[in-house]
Amino acid sequence: MTPTAADAPDASRPEAPGRSLWSDAFRRLSRDRAAVACFAVICLYVFVAVYAQFRYADFHTSQDYERRNQPPSRAHWLGTDVFGRDVLAKTLLGAKVSMTVGFMANAIAVPLGLVLGSMAGFFGRRVDDLIVWVYTTLASVPSIILLIALKYAFQGLVLFRDTWAEIDLSGIHGLYIALAVTSWIGTCRLTRAETLKLKSMDYVTAARASGQGSLRILLRHIIPNLFHLAIINFTLGFVGAITAEVILSFLGLGVSVGTPSWGTMINAARMDLVVGRWWEFASAVGAMFFIVLSLNIFGDRLRDALDPRLRVG
Amino acid sequence: MGAYILRRLIQAAFTIFGVMLITFLLFRLVAGDVAAAHLGPKVTEQQKRDWLHKHGYDKPKLINKSLWRCRSGPAPPASGASTAGTTGSCGARPPWSTVLKSTFLDTQFADYLWKTATFQTRSLITNERLIDIIRQRAPYSLAITVPAMALGWAMAMVVATIVAYYRASLIDYVGVFLAVLGMCIPYLAFIMAGQYLVFQLRPSMAFGLSNPFNIFVPVTIAVIAGLGGQVRFYRTVILDEANRDYVRTALAKGLPLPAVMFKHILRNCMLPILTQLILAIPFLILGSLLLESFFGIPGLGDQLLSAITNRDEPIVSGETYLTALIYTLGVLLTDISYAIFDPRVRLT
Repeated sequence: MTPTAADAPDASRPEAPGRSLWSDAFRRLSRDRAAVACFAVICLYVFVAVYAQFRYADFHTSQDYERRNQPPSRAHWLGTDVFGRDVLAKTLLGAKVSMTVGFMANAIAVPLGLVLGSMAGFFGRRVDDLIVWVYTTLASVPSIILLIALKYAFQGLVLFRDTWAEIDLSGIHGLYIALAVTSWIGTCRLTRAETLKLKSMDYVTAARASGQGSLRILLRHIIPNLFHLAIINFTLGFVGAITAEVILSFLGLGVSVGTPSWGTMINAARMDLVVGRWWEFASAVGAMFFIVLSLNIFGDRLRDALDPRLRVG
Repeated sequence: MGAYILRRLIQAAFTIFGVMLITFLLFRLVAGDVAAAHLGPKVTEQQKRDWLHKHGYDKPKLINKSLWRCRSGPAPPASGASTAGTTGSCGARPPWSTVLKSTFLDTQFADYLWKTATFQTRSLITNERLIDIIRQRAPYSLAITVPAMALGWAMAMVVATIVAYYRASLIDYVGVFLAVLGMCIPYLAFIMAGQYLVFQLRPSMAFGLSNPFNIFVPVTIAVIAGLGGQVRFYRTVILDEANRDYVRTALAKGLPLPAVMFKHILRNCMLPILTQLILAIPFLILGSLLLESFFGIPGLGDQLLSAITNRDEPIVSGETYLTALIYTLGVLLTDISYAIFDPRVRLT
C-alpha cells in the first residue's frame, strides 16, 4: 500500500491490521476502468489549461481580418472566429478559465463548508442555529439568481484598492467568490449531518472521557473523518462551478470582456448558428461536455469508493 | 401537527427575513454608486442629491441618528434641517418614542423591508411598480414553467418506470447512458440547437409569440433538457424501493410484477419524487431565464436580464426576493405534506 501512504490524512491514526479507507478506495478506483479513463480526461484538461496560456500567449493580438469566420481547415482545425482568431486556441484557453474557476471556487467553498458544518454539528445550540439559518437563507434563493445578484453587486467593486492585494471583483475574482458563496452549502449540510452522527460515537465519548478539549476532539477526531465528504464534494462541485461559469459568462456577468471562455464563445456564436457558422459553438459545447461528463462519472465512482452508503444509481 | 406547522412557518419567516437582509446588504451596501450609473458622470451635485432623494436613497441605511442630538444636545441647533436625510429640525424636544421610531423606521432598511415584502418597489427606469410588472409578465413565465414542470415530470416518470422495470437489461443500460449524456450537455446547447432546428423547419416558430402555440417550443426544450437528471434520480428512487422486503413478499406470494410496480412501488416513491420536484424549481427558473431571452417571450426572466443590463436595482432585488419566496413556500409545503402523508416522519 505504499503508493497511498501519503494520502492518509494523518499518520497518527492507529494502525489497523486491514487496509485504510484511503488505500481501499484507491484500489477500488484503480480497478474501475471508467473511473481511470475519466481521471485521465480530467488530467488532460488540467494539462491543457496550463499548456494553453504558454502556447497561445499571443492570442489577444492574433487578429487576422483577412481570415474571419473561416470554416475548419488544415491551418485552423476548428476554424476562426469573427476576429480571425483560431477557435482551437480559444477553446483551449477557455479550458484554463473553466479549470481555474472550478478549482478556486471549490478551494474556498469546500474548506468553508467543512469547518462551518463540523462546527454546527459539534457545538450545536446557538452556533448550529446561526449556521443553519445562514445556509437555509442562502439556499432559498435559487443558485443562478443568487449568482446573478452577487455578480451584479460586485460590478465595479475593487477590494483593497491600490495595495498589493488588490482584487477586482467585477471579473474572474468575483466569480470565484460568488461561486464559493453559493456552493459551500452542500458541503456544510453533509458535514453537519455526518458530525452529528460521529459526535455520539464511542471513540468521541472516550476522547472526551480522557479529558481532551472540544477543539482537539473536533480537529483530531471529527474533521479527519469528514475528509472523504470534502473530496467527493470537491469533485462534484467542480461540475457546478464550470456550468455556472459558462452561463454567467454567457450573460456577460462572468469573466471580464475579451477573456476567452466557453461562455463568451457560446454568446459570440448566438447569431452565428443561423447563418451556418457552427464551429465556435460546437467547440465550446464539445469541450464542456467532455469535462462535465468525466467529472460526473469520476465523482460518482469516487463517492462509491469512499462512501458506499451514498451510492446513487 | 399544528405546532409543527407553526414552527415551520416561523422558520420560513426567518428565512425570508434573511433573504431580504442579504439582498439589502448586496444591493445597497456592496453595490456601487447607483446615481452615477443612472445619471452619467456629467451631473451637478444638486441633481444627484435630488435623484437620490426622489428614490429614497438619501436616508441613513440601517440606523437613523438624526433625532438623537435633539434629545441629548443642550439646545437644538437651528441649521440641522439642511442636512440631507433628516426629517426636519427639532423645535421642541421630541419624546423618546418618536426618536426610537425614527431611529429604526426612518431608514432605507425599513423602507426596503416594507416595499419588498409588499412588492411596492418601483423601477428606477420606468417607475412602474413591481407588483404591476409581475401581474403583467408572470403569466408568460408560468406559461413556460408550469407545462414544463408537468410534462417533464410525466415524461421522466414514464421513462424511469420503464427503465427500472427492465433493470439490468439492454433497455436499462441504454436508458441510463442516454440520461447521463443528457445531464452533461449544457443547457445553452439544448436551447441554441433547438432554436436552430425549429428555425430550419418553421422559421416563424423560432422567435416571439406571434402564434400562442409557439410557447411549446421552449417548453419542449425545457422538458428535454431536464429529462436526463430526473430520469436518473427517479430510477434510483424506484430501484431503492424495489429492493425492499415487502416487494419480495408481494412477488413471493404470486402477485404479478406490473401490479407490484404500480400498486406498491410507485406509490411509495411519490414522496421523494415530490421533494425532487420542488428542488427542481431553481432549474426551472434558470430555464425560463434563458428560454425567455432566447425566444423573445416577455416574462419575468427576460425582465430580470434587462434589469441587470440597465442596473435597475429595485427590480433585480424584487425578483430575487420573489424567487426565494416561491422556493421557500414550496419547501414548506413539501415538509408539511411529508408530515401529513408519511407516517414514518417523526415531528421533531
